[in-house]
Amino acid sequence: MTELRHPTIDSPALRPAATVMDLERLGSLHASRLSFVRSLVRQMARQRWQISRVRFDLDAQGYGVAIYRLQTPHGRYHGVIFSQYLDAARRSDRVIADAWDVTFGVVEGDVDEALLEQMARNVPLQEAGRQHPRVLVLSRANRSLRNFAQFVEALSAGAQPDPAWLTRVGYLYRTTAVYGNGKFGIADFMRLRDNPDFRRPFSAQMLAVYLLRHFSIDQVEHIAHCRAPEAAVPLARELSRYLGIGNSTGLGMAPFLINHPQLIQQWVYCRERALALALSQRPEEADRRRLIVLTRRAMTHLAQTLTEDAEQSARNAATVAALPAVIAWLEEMPLEADLWRQLADWSASSLSLEAQELINTLLIELYPLLVDPLEDEMGAEESLELTPDMPLVRLRQLIETHFDWALAEDFTSPEARYWFWYRSVEKEEPRLGVRGVEPGADKELALAIAPLVSEAHEALCAFLADNPRALVVDFLIARPRYKAIVRRTQTMAQTPYGEIRANLWHRDMKPMYLLRTKLSFFGASRFDPKSDRWVRITLFQGAPLVDELNAEPHDLAAFDDWSFPLEPAGRQSEGHREAVGGER
Amino acid sequence: MKVSHNELQGLCRKAFLGMGFEEGDAADAADMVAWMQCLDLGGLAALSRGLDYLLAESSDALPSVLYQDGDLAVLDGHGCSVLRSSSLALELGFAKARARGLAVIKIRHCHNRQLIMGYLARLAGRGMNVTAFWRNAHEPLTEQVVGFRANHTVPEIRIYTVADVPEENEPNDGITLVMANHVDLLPAMRSNYRYDLLARHEESDLLACRDRAYLEGIEVDDTLWERLKALATRMLVEATDDSRQGAGAGTHDND
Repeated sequence: MTELRHPTIDSPALRPAATVMDLERLGSLHASRLSFVRSLVRQMARQRWQISRVRFDLDAQGYGVAIYRLQTPHGRYHGVIFSQYLDAARRSDRVIADAWDVTFGVVEGDVDEALLEQMARNVPLQEAGRQHPRVLVLSRANRSLRNFAQFVEALSAGAQPDPAWLTRVGYLYRTTAVYGNGKFGIADFMRLRDNPDFRRPFSAQMLAVYLLRHFSIDQVEHIAHCRAPEAAVPLARELSRYLGIGNSTGLGMAPFLINHPQLIQQWVYCRERALALALSQRPEEADRRRLIVLTRRAMTHLAQTLTEDAEQSARNAATVAALPAVIAWLEEMPLEADLWRQLADWSASSLSLEAQELINTLLIELYPLLVDPLEDEMGAEESLELTPDMPLVRLRQLIETHFDWALAEDFTSPEARYWFWYRSVEKEEPRLGVRGVEPGADKELALAIAPLVSEAHEALCAFLADNPRALVVDFLIARPRYKAIVRRTQTMAQTPYGEIRANLWHRDMKPMYLLRTKLSFFGASRFDPKSDRWVRITLFQGAPLVDELNAEPHDLAAFDDWSFPLEPAGRQSEGHREAVGGER
Repeated sequence: MKVSHNELQGLCRKAFLGMGFEEGDAADAADMVAWMQCLDLGGLAALSRGLDYLLAESSDALPSVLYQDGDLAVLDGHGCSVLRSSSLALELGFAKARARGLAVIKIRHCHNRQLIMGYLARLAGRGMNVTAFWRNAHEPLTEQVVGFRANHTVPEIRIYTVADVPEENEPNDGITLVMANHVDLLPAMRSNYRYDLLARHEESDLLACRDRAYLEGIEVDDTLWERLKALATRMLVEATDDSRQGAGAGTHDND
């Protein structure tokens, strides 16, 4: 079908970087309609992507090989999944694990026996294997043992699992890494640059996760059927939709955010443009009603978001507690032209950051025709470039204007230089150490931008005192160690949002905010911190199922309306689908 | 074995950091090697030839400016690899060409000169026409000319031997660069003197190489790869029970 044409976008006023790039605010973001899982599902539906199962050689325990074919208007891909027995002693979510319940890859093109054999030898080894250059994504996942056992037991007994289990843990599998862009021999992202299917950031990775979700349903139904061929029933549609894929992640996400500032700029810039567009709209009564409906749904979703982490629980509870007042505000206020702006102003002065950003996410949700074209602008050509002929005095001005937040920190204070970031010899896992206490500070990763800027600023001010007419290149020839930070500041001063405004050395710095920043753009829900630097989340919970996609939905807006999913109402027997084991 | 471009670039960057390169130099050097290898121009072989020199050279021996005026500069590379010493000399030329339309830069006493091409690609990407010229050896005397059009990512390259060997015996360890804002400076063979063309790389050939590298992966020598990995591990920190806590993971993974 023909894709919708969208109106040209003007750019209303954007929020200042000092507000938006504050780490605590970034760490309060929620998934939005620009998040990558949402964009992918829309793209799949608009372009009528079709997913079929072409191989399903699993034994009664669910071990074996499954292959799914994805056909798009432009190309053909295959998801190849290896499922194996995993000894309990080897079960770990850490990157340092060396075996998993399932390992899988997404391949561009067809999979012949030779490629399948190569993948069977290497994909289960993950980082220790040598992967094929036609593999676009490499990943692995471990079972939620409790959910898996309970689902098999219920389905094989002819019953549906209790939806509350999926409210506690929203998946059967959680991934522990989803690799793209050339890792361990797989295809470079550059190769996808001109590929209309996967040129958006992380879209191939999200497709891999979506295929795993589909496999997890197929597999649990297959095991139940093998256990009780006569009695077993398929998983009910509402429960299948309520089932997502987990992800368990740690500090590994942090270096990406710092090392790709131009990409982060683009992600945040698109989100902020979307918000500014929404805020500038004159609402109709239907818009107001829709926002109230969305707010109620989000409130219930957050009330159903369970975590043992006390701080996150309190944040969720505060948001849930605040939302009735938001609904009351919306119902009582006159429908004026600038109602959304009034709402934003009121929320900024009255609500927590998480509640503010939730309202922003919901406002963005109201205007798909204006917002959705921005999803094609989430990518960036990344290159930090020097401007060697810039007068040094101009660079000083740029730093003092755009990096004032970095210069404001007193780096002589022990609190301000408490942590250092490093990579462990164990699979190069990023870790945090206490400076002066733990070894490794001499091998520190240059992730803390603020102290680098501050030091460079001090050095260039001293150089300027003796060389007031110097150019940037003159300074760097004298002090070459500042080349990297100077070209970063010169490049990033051209755009507002690339730099996360925090001192990543500071004792009070919260790594969890960094993780949540990235995960919110992926489209994660149910943030469940396991420590201050380790989190489990859920992707694709509530998303349409493969058979719904294959049915080529006509109502694309309804198909896309799956954010903030709710636990299905208690039901144990109705709504069974067709017999287990058929093509889905 | 075959590796991806990102993998090659990433490992080289870590290896250069392990060798003591500054952050910016390590990233630039990695880009230079990977760019050249991706175009099948032997970036890793060039690195391999120079690796022992790189490991031996002092990180303090930075290039110094011997002479400069508005559109000309002569620098001393102090015998270092261009991987560590050339980027700021080239940036100086870039700044002068921007200001004056055309600039000439001479870097004396440097080695690994093939690898400089990757950084020239970067300058060309910023809209500069760039040509580099150097002589390789006396027996036979070869010359190499590399020319980038502004905003093109790959060059035209000519390598040839010349018959008329000069009597003076200054070592051929320098490189001369010309940068121009507005004028193509591509190599075109036109000479009254005898020469034998050894290699001629057209832009279209190199672009085809790059496409192939992205499609099929990049062949690397296993021994060199292992050596680079060993250098990269210099920046990794030994694991302890405390450090494992530093990753912040939970103590059990059941849910």
